[in-house]
Amino acid sequence: MELQPIMRALWRNRTGAVLVALQIALALAIVVNSTYIIVQRLEHMGRDPGLDVANLFTVIFAPTGSNFDPEVAMRDDVELLRALPGVVDATRINSIPLSGGGSSTVYYTQPGEKGREALGNYYEVDEHGINTLGVRLVEGRNFDPSIVRRLPDNSSAFVPEVIITRAFAKEMFPDGSAIGQTVYDGLGQPARVVGVLDKMHGAWVDWDKLDNVVLHPVLTSERFAMYLVRAKPGQRDSLMRLAEDKLAAIDNGRIIHKVRSVEELAARSYADDRAMTVYLSVVVGMLLAISALGIFGLAAFNVSTRTKQIGTRRAVGARRFDIVRYFMVENWVITTAGVLVGCVLALVLGYWLSSAFELPRLKLYYLVAGVVVLWAVGLAAALWPARRAARVSPAVATRTV
Amino acid sequence: MFDYDLKLALRSLRRHIGLSMLMVLAVALGIAVCTITFTVYHAMSTNPIAWKNDRLYAVTIDSWDPEKPADDEQPEMPPEQLTYRDAIALHAADIPERSLVMFKSERVLNPQQPGRTPFYTLVRVTHGDFFPMFETPFLYGSGWDREADAGPEPVIVLSRETNEKAFGGENSVGRTVRLGDNEFRIVGVLDRWEPAPKFYDLNNGSFQEAEDVFIPFMWGETLQLPAVGNTNCWKSEQIESFGDFLNSECVWVQMWAELPDRDTRERYQAFVDNYVRGQKAGGRLPRPLNNRLFNVDEWLDFYKVVKKDNRVLIGIALLFLAVCLVNIIGLLLAKFLNGAALTGLRRALGASRKDVIRQHLTEVVLVGLAGGVLGLLFAVAGLAGIRAIYGDTYDRYEQLTRIDPVVVLVTLGLSLLAGLIAGVYPAWRIGHTSPAVYLKTQ
Repeated sequence: MELQPIMRALWRNRTGAVLVALQIALALAIVVNSTYIIVQRLEHMGRDPGLDVANLFTVIFAPTGSNFDPEVAMRDDVELLRALPGVVDATRINSIPLSGGGSSTVYYTQPGEKGREALGNYYEVDEHGINTLGVRLVEGRNFDPSIVRRLPDNSSAFVPEVIITRAFAKEMFPDGSAIGQTVYDGLGQPARVVGVLDKMHGAWVDWDKLDNVVLHPVLTSERFAMYLVRAKPGQRDSLMRLAEDKLAAIDNGRIIHKVRSVEELAARSYADDRAMTVYLSVVVGMLLAISALGIFGLAAFNVSTRTKQIGTRRAVGARRFDIVRYFMVENWVITTAGVLVGCVLALVLGYWLSSAFELPRLKLYYLVAGVVVLWAVGLAAALWPARRAARVSPAVATRTV
Repeated sequence: MFDYDLKLALRSLRRHIGLSMLMVLAVALGIAVCTITFTVYHAMSTNPIAWKNDRLYAVTIDSWDPEKPADDEQPEMPPEQLTYRDAIALHAADIPERSLVMFKSERVLNPQQPGRTPFYTLVRVTHGDFFPMFETPFLYGSGWDREADAGPEPVIVLSRETNEKAFGGENSVGRTVRLGDNEFRIVGVLDRWEPAPKFYDLNNGSFQEAEDVFIPFMWGETLQLPAVGNTNCWKSEQIESFGDFLNSECVWVQMWAELPDRDTRERYQAFVDNYVRGQKAGGRLPRPLNNRLFNVDEWLDFYKVVKKDNRVLIGIALLFLAVCLVNIIGLLLAKFLNGAALTGLRRALGASRKDVIRQHLTEVVLVGLAGGVLGLLFAVAGLAGIRAIYGDTYDRYEQLTRIDPVVVLVTLGLSLLAGLIAGVYPAWRIGHTSPAVYLKTQ
């Protein structure tokens, strides 16, 4: 291999080579760290929320005044919704999971704010809550309809029983089953755990207690209530229109303010993550394209300026393959140098991101993957110019003075 | 002379048209990415009432749990909002030039006009000082005075949009609307007012729209209006009625004071501290004395309006631009050195080193400008794309993606600078190449 003459030739034209290597190094640093951020966000967005997000929608209403009889009107509305063709189930609820709005409180395992404690995101639903949300009950039972009741307004009354998620159960009762255990509110009022859900996400997608959800058997007051409806697969959008029309046609002292799919509300909550993913993906794509074009441009240029040298080499016996190999090896040397420097830059950038923005530390296999990709891009970009170089005729050597 | 430089530059660019386009594209992409990132960042970091930054102060006191701070991530800070009773007590002071306490509620508004149906509105329940303090523009009429606050009188101010929905946009001052069960007299209609970020109440997102209607604060208690912003409670208290809620340690009320100078500010701070000491003597407010007045900039900072993500993106955009620059330097250098023979000839015929450098720099500036303009077009298209994808559902993207003249100027400056940085070395290099070397071999 003619590594030595290649190095010598490179050294003579080092500025160009250094620039290409630097470009590759910077590109590697950005590509690796951006990809890492993208993957994290995709994982964040791809978590299983435990409920039937695709088929749920919510109807938000507002009482117009004292002509609104809350119990009668809300009962009628929910019954109307349940009877619509294509509806799986419906419930009154105090806020919508994944929507970014909700209520949370602290629960204790002993009265008087003692024992183990955990924050829980609570939802007030009736006995149709579990079926409407599409969550899976893995232990215990659903609420008994007879205990679902309305709490007085502005009161700190508590509920007789609750259903909790497995994550919440684990935090409160790490040893053994949670069924039959008692949780207490801050005032020491008890509630018995009657059911455990496999999984359910709460209101705030960036909250580290997102999996801590508690269901309360309560007919939510009109101050917070909205309706949550689960449609049969594929019928959500038509049902949303139908539900709005049917409800709006009844004048029972309230107006229908908004009908929104839970999918849309969840997408809103994840909007920043999605924007970041899209933006960084575009940057990574453009960066790879620019780097490839840059390497390609420079290699092509080098070939065209060295036509005479190539012709001479061909005239004194170099095969086409030798010429291709020469340019590929030259490019390989530059790319490798760039990738090596790039590894250092990528680690520095990763360290800066993790220390300044509390992002998790860069995983090394991302670096390895990035190195492979840029190597491949670098070599691929040089291939065409190298093959063109091989087509230079040996006669060129004799042509000029 | 300039004509000649331009002619040479254009000819040279045309000779290697592919390479020239590649360079312009590289500059353009770098500029576009930076412009888009800067636009969003700039919109987020704007203080929408910067000219009153040293007069307007958000008032906070540390009324939280003796065991732990209100926010574990900023443990030195008091909670963002006040309890109802503290807000009422603090508002009684006459030290500030103006002051207000407020919260966000909701009601159905009935325009009581033939053919217009009732609709849902977000209600800001606040004092009349809101309007002069935050300099809201009025289309018709005005706000209300302190007498109306004290009544409270049934007066209401509509947003421009609400007035359009309820009255088709005509001057509705003097008419009445029904808000829930109660009639309110319209005293003013705001013109378009979209402070972004929504500095005066950042609780439910920094880029929410302003409320639909405004009514005097005391109606909140009279009509038992629900607070629909954030309500945070640390203490387990027995609550049986609306009165119990108002007396609880839950924080849900916002407060602002206009303090025109340092002296007033110090007197007001002393007043707030004294009030808290008095409450401590009565057994309330157990945390260490920590009452803060935030100016608008500090307030936006406290709420972290500029997201971490966007700071990361600024860094990545600049690095991306750097890659583009390195790319162009390499290409320019190769291109110039390739034309060295011609340059050598020109030098031999009497062109000075300065002439050669200038000629090459002209080329560089052309590439930079073309890249800048193209990059701006890309950025406009990119921002329009973001709006098209997100604008309908998320109104804040509407506000965050507006093209800003400052950003455009910065971008054009940046593209010129980028071009120059990228071009100085190649031009210098070619200027210092000995002409003889190139004349000899050809």
